[in-house]
Formats: sequence, structure tokens, C-alpha cells
Amino acid sequence: MRWFNRLWLSTMWLICGSLSAQETHPGDPSALSRQDSLQAMLLTSKAVRQAIGSIQPSLVTIESFGGVSVVQGRIGGIRKQGEGNTTGIIVSPEGHIVTSTFNFIQQPPVITVITSDGTRHVAEMLGRDDTRKICMLKINANREFPKPDLVPLDQLKIGQWAISLGVGYGDVSPAVSVGIISATNRVGGRAIQTDANISPANYGGPLLDIEGRLLGICVPLNPQSQSIGAGVEWYDSGIGFAIPLAGAEELLSSLKQGEQVFPAFLGILAMPNPDGKGVWIEQVVQGSPADQAGILREDVIIEIDGVEVRDMMQLRQILNRLQAGMEIELTLIPDETQEPKTLKLTLDRPPPPKGEPAPLEVPKIR
Amino acid sequence: MIPILRSLKKNLVKVAIATFLVWSVPNGLDGSSNLVQAQIDNHVSQVFVEANQRMVKVYGASAGRVEGYATGFLVSDDGLVITTQGVFLDGNRVRILTSDGVEHAASVIRRDRERQLALLKIDVENASYFSLADGDVGDKGDWIIAISNAFKVADKEEPLSATLGVISLRTAMEARLNRRDVAYKGELVLIDPITSNPGAAGGAIVTLQGKLVGMIGKIINSSDTNTRLNYAVPTSILKEFVANEVAPSKSVTSKQSPVELGIRLFTHGGRSGPAYIDRVRRGTPAQRAGLKPDDLVISIGGEKIGTVKEYEQVISGLTVGQEVIIVVKRGIDLIRQPITPVEKKP
Repeated sequence: MRWFNRLWLSTMWLICGSLSAQETHPGDPSALSRQDSLQAMLLTSKAVRQAIGSIQPSLVTIESFGGVSVVQGRIGGIRKQGEGNTTGIIVSPEGHIVTSTFNFIQQPPVITVITSDGTRHVAEMLGRDDTRKICMLKINANREFPKPDLVPLDQLKIGQWAISLGVGYGDVSPAVSVGIISATNRVGGRAIQTDANISPANYGGPLLDIEGRLLGICVPLNPQSQSIGAGVEWYDSGIGFAIPLAGAEELLSSLKQGEQVFPAFLGILAMPNPDGKGVWIEQVVQGSPADQAGILREDVIIEIDGVEVRDMMQLRQILNRLQAGMEIELTLIPDETQEPKTLKLTLDRPPPPKGEPAPLEVPKIR
Repeated sequence: MIPILRSLKKNLVKVAIATFLVWSVPNGLDGSSNLVQAQIDNHVSQVFVEANQRMVKVYGASAGRVEGYATGFLVSDDGLVITTQGVFLDGNRVRILTSDGVEHAASVIRRDRERQLALLKIDVENASYFSLADGDVGDKGDWIIAISNAFKVADKEEPLSATLGVISLRTAMEARLNRRDVAYKGELVLIDPITSNPGAAGGAIVTLQGKLVGMIGKIINSSDTNTRLNYAVPTSILKEFVANEVAPSKSVTSKQSPVELGIRLFTHGGRSGPAYIDRVRRGTPAQRAGLKPDDLVISIGGEKIGTVKEYEQVISGLTVGQEVIIVVKRGIDLIRQPITPVEKKP
């Protein structure tokens, strides 16, 4: 089927090219008429529809029943999570479904899934990765599901077509948005970036290439924050993220086993170092990895895993690339000795949030 | 910040088209990529130039924070203009600027609160206008150009702003989207260019062949997603409105006798909790359908029941004696049963 699509597209091009060469500008194949360029754009729309058609058997609608928001007030930039259904993608013949953790902020006690043939199944929540905002569901259906084709990571190119799909607006048929890949290595190498519309309408849904292969799972992300709803404030802004599943076999199998991945937590409150490079520690959280490693107030961190920590921003970036359970090497200048020393410590998961996380407001447009 | 990002997006899409062309064109034509880009630009630009002649800027009264301007377009050669319904039409003076920058005093012919449309009239002759098609114009995935005066950026004879994108979804209102969000029945065209900005409502969505897909609707928030919708009111509805055909009225709520199924729900968690059955009364439809306490009601008559509140809403819309399918979850099984509502006993 795929080879046929490709062949068909390029054949159309050859025809377009040769027609214009013969009819409008004899002998000059580079001259394309206005009609040809229109044809080209009309063909893209056709290709988009074919891409949607080829992923449809893997696309599911997720329904949540009950559940009260664990977050009071606003989530990220929007007032609260919508009431509608959300999107997921079947990734194994046995009925494993990858979707976004955003869809379960309200922690519904019951989740059901409607597959593309219209049947409804009760779903079980398995593992979740809070650093990528994806999670794994499982349904038991007495049939095998198709496995979506994944785009290999080395084939990702900035500028290639990206098509986002989601059923969040309520229709059985998914809403589509077309854009391009804007960057291939974002948020600590976890995500690809796209300018196709990404919003609660398609979080958990697929980002496809023009051939209908899976580029990634649409999620809200913000490289500066790992709070539960971070990234929603950028919905439909032209800055959207998707988590590629190619090369993530290990992660997926651990999620299938119910494992959880948490953001990294070091346990320090830091400030810019008034005396130069590095970050100055204002406070160490009791019992945290930093505390256990013997880091003290007024020490200055200058290096993590061989990467120089110049400022607060960089510290945050480095920590965002890591996750709980990882061992790191941290170099600091203790306030007492002023002699650089290197410590090894294992990152922990952050303590549960007290009250609501700092809200990130959408700028008001008047 | 958001508007900047959105305009960035527009440019990226252009780059995207160029990139696609470069990849798709067989090797012999690679050298022509610049030319192809120019041709595409040229095409979009020609469609825009033609459409822009039919576009108008509408200025009226502003009230508090509500902007006093909108976009509109001509639908007849003698000056009928369609725009969005809004408070800006309430003042005693509505001004319309045609694409040549000439100001006209407009009279309001008709306003429709349900469809959120307004028909205005200015005195012009032989004007260029959009003809309104009967059927659907444009398919999911088709390229469209959204033309509007969002943020009032264009002044006098300056052309309006064009944004390239695709049709996201054509969806029937009665079946989908939350009924509270949009007042009218019928169809809605969701689009992916960002049009949910002040002043954009009343703008035109056109295909690459220059055909009118619909009118950009005013800003609404979808309660399904809690995000702003970017959408158009389809041309067929505009045509009905201009022809002054009666709006298809909202679901006729004839006085119905209240119905019941014989279910008492577990309501300790308040009405936003899931619809677990607390008790099934004897001799009721629920008992005949074999429902049991602790079953979770999933859907009735195809409508999803997420909460106790949604159960109450759906029950109030049922008719005595009319069988519907109820789906409940028991353990890990989903059970489908026909159930026939009876008249509620006082």
C-alpha cells in the first residue's frame, strides 16, 4: 500500500512535470504553471487524508468516568481539564494503548476505550512516564490489533510534514492539523517539536508523517517545568511536542509492566551565585538526595556529569534531561573548604505537590 | 506572545510547502525549487487578491472590553454584507470600509442570535462578491486561506491578513461538540489556522480555488477541551440566513412527562462523581433489564454518562415507552441492555 502511495505521488509529479514541459514551456522542464502548483497542493491534501486513513485502525477514543481534579484552579494555562473524550494509539497486537498523562489529571476511577470498530472496552492503567507525559493503558479484546508503523529516529528531518490527529472535539472522526517538524531534539532529547496544532483536543493522539507512519504521541511539554499541566499554556501556538516511540522499546516494555518514571529531584533551593559561575545553595531539603550526599547550605554547584553549571537556567535544563533513579556526579565548591569536590548521588522523585503548582497564565489578548 | 507564535507558524507552513515540493519533485526538476515556491506563492496570492476585493472591515460601537470591530464580506453585487452578530452592531452608526478604502454607512438588515450572523447593507454597485454554494465546500485536509482583520491590523485600504491552514473536521453540531458551546444546529467546520482572535469573526475561509468554505465564527471556548475553537460557519448556513429561511430551531422541548428507569445513583461524592447505581427499585425497567447495585452507568442511548449530573441530563431527554440501550460496567465487563423508560411516579 505504502509503496503504491509513493509511486502514485511521484507518478503524478512526473505527469505534472511532463505536461507542463510539453504544453506550456516546451523544452524547459523547470517551468511549472500555476495550475501545476495548485495540483501539487491539492495532492498534499489527498496524501493527508490517506495518512489519516492508514492510522485509523490504531486510533482510539478514551472516556473517563468521574474523578475530581487533583489540581485546584487552573491547570497550566487553561482553566481546567475539558469534559470531553481524549485520544490514544494502540501500539501492540494485544491491545496496549499509549496516550498522554494529561488526559488523566482528574484521576478517573474508571476508564473505557472505544476502538475504531466502535466497540467499547474497559481499560486498565499500567505504567506512566511523568517526564514525557505519556502512559500505558491495556484493554482486553478478543482480537489482534495492527501495530502502527514508526518513523525511525534517523529519518526525522526538520521541515518534513507533520499531521496531528485527535478526537477531543467529540466527533468519531478525528480533527486534523497539518504542519511541519520544527525541531527533532527537544526537552532533553525526549520530544520532537512541531508547528501543527497540538492541544487538549489531540494530547495522546498521533503525530504522523505524510505516509501515515507514527512520528510521535502528542503531549503538552514545557522545557522549563515538569509540573503536571505544564505545556498546556502553549496549546495551538505553533509550538507543540510529540514523544517518538521509535527507539523507545525499553521504555514501552517497562510501562507495560506498570513501572513509573518520575522527574528528577535533587532537593536544593538554589540562587544565582553572587561571586560568579555556578549556583549558590540557599536551602537543602531534609532527607533529599542532596541532603544524603552531604551537600550543605551556601555550597556552590559548578558541574553535573561533567557539564559546567553556569547559571540557574542551565541547572534546570540539566535536571530536566534526567529522571528519578539516575546516578549523577556532582562537583561543588563547599563553603567551608573552598576546595572543589565531586560527589555521587542518586536522584529521587519529587515529593507530592502541596496545594496547587504555580499557575502559568495565558497572556490575555484584548 | 501567542500572536507572535501564531504568525511564526504561518511562515513555517510556507516553508513546509516549499520543502514538500523539493522532496516530491523528481530529480530532474530539483533546480526549479525556487520557481515552484514562487508559483505557489503566486497562486495563494492570486486567490487572496481576488477574495480580498470582496472583504470589508466593519466598525461599530465598542462596549467595555468587547471590541467594536469585525470582518465581513460581500455576498451580492449591490452591497449585502455578512458579518458576525455582536454588540458592535448595537450603536446607532455602523461603518463599513470596502477593500478600496472607501467608507460606507451600513444599515443592519437582519441579526440572528442563534446562528450568530448579521446581514448588513451598503450602497455600492457592481461589487465583487462571494456566491454562496448550497452544499459542502472543502474536505478534511484541504488547504484553506483564512482572511480576516484580526486585531484590526489592517487600516483603510490595506489588505486583510491571510493565514494558510487546512480544514480539521466537518462536524454535525447536534451529534457532537458540547451543545452549550454553540447555539445553532447544523454543521460546523473546524479549521487549523488560528482564527480565535478579536476582530477575526466575520472573516472568510476560502479554498485554493477561491471558493467560500464559510465565515469565521466568533470566539468560543469548547467545554470538551477547554480551549478556544477555530471554526467557520459553513456556506450552506450562510445561504439559508441570507435567503431569510427560518433557522432550524433548537431541539424542540415539547412538554414531556418526566421519565424514570428505577435507578437510584450513589450521590455521596456529589453530582460530579461517576454514575454508580446505589439501588435498583423493584418492578422497574432497571430491574427488568437486570441492572444491579454497584453497576456503573457508562452510556444511555449512545450518550456517554460521565457523571451523576450527565445521567440526570440524559434521563430528562428520554421519552416514555421509547426503548434505548443502556451500557453498564460490572467488574471488568461491559453489559449492554435495552431499557424502556416509564413515566415517573410522583
